[in-house]
Amino acid sequence: MPDLKILAVDDSPTMRRIIVNTLKRAGYTDVVEASDGKDALAKLKVDKINLIITDWNMPEMDGLTLVSTLRAMDEYKDLPVLMVTTRSVKEDIVQALKAGVNNYIVKPFTPDTLKEKIENVLAG
Amino acid sequence: MSDPQEFSGQIEEVIRGLAESINTMAERIKGLQNPLSESQEKVPRATKQLDKIAEQTEAVTHHMLDTIEQLTQREQDIRNGLRQIKTMAADGNCEKVQTMADALIEKTDRSSNDAFSIMNALQFQDITCQQMNHAAAMLEDIETKLLQIISVMHGEVEADAIDWNPGAGKDRVFDPHADMVGRKTPQEDIDSLFEGKEA
Repeated sequence: MPDLKILAVDDSPTMRRIIVNTLKRAGYTDVVEASDGKDALAKLKVDKINLIITDWNMPEMDGLTLVSTLRAMDEYKDLPVLMVTTRSVKEDIVQALKAGVNNYIVKPFTPDTLKEKIENVLAG
Repeated sequence: MSDPQEFSGQIEEVIRGLAESINTMAERIKGLQNPLSESQEKVPRATKQLDKIAEQTEAVTHHMLDTIEQLTQREQDIRNGLRQIKTMAADGNCEKVQTMADALIEKTDRSSNDAFSIMNALQFQDITCQQMNHAAAMLEDIETKLLQIISVMHGEVEADAIDWNPGAGKDRVFDPHADMVGRKTPQEDIDSLFEGKEA
């Protein structure tokens, strides 16, 4: 597995643990956590991140705003983002696509789906 | 033209009837105040209960995650040990030990997969929490409206002056459609959207 640093963003500590454990099992051991969009932006200043996995509904700054903010910044406009959220209404998915999300998974997710979408996002 | 005295008697009767109606109405409104006040008190308690459930399921989930992490680490240690035994057995040509080691390795793999499935199922906690936040937000909205009704009934404020959508519960973060099983859009359709980049 290539050296890859992943930023997992979710306001639920339980979900972050599950995502981190799922990533480790898939071979991605270098994972940084953030509790919301604002925290994620702060972590990006400190670490060189290769992929962001983010929830949508979060306090302070939600996932959609995080993605829009990143796409407006030169240094992060191409940073791959995978959204993992409970939101499954088509309009929301289209909104995420338009905001610049690279791929999208609805919770609850299976480990295989997460691994597959990560590989898709990194390949694309 | 009717007799003025008779007319005045009729008016008196109408006024008496009106006064009785008004008294009855006032009594009924007074009678409503207690249930309204009780409801207004119960809503914060219900909201606190929901918050408590969310906290406690989170605590239990973390405890389970701790155990699962320890379990999977132990499994890994066993697997590594068994691989060493297998190597030693191969060197000593001991087929039976190799076979036993293979069987044990398979068992630990299955055990590890089971533990991982349990961990994955704990995603329910995040979804349940959002559902409870949604319920709590609705209760807080009802609480605010009840307070406003009571203020109007006490004459503290006019009904017209009230903002009936003050945004109670809006500090809570949740997806109103969060559901463990009921997805609005299947993953295959989501994949098509992203592959075709259709909007």
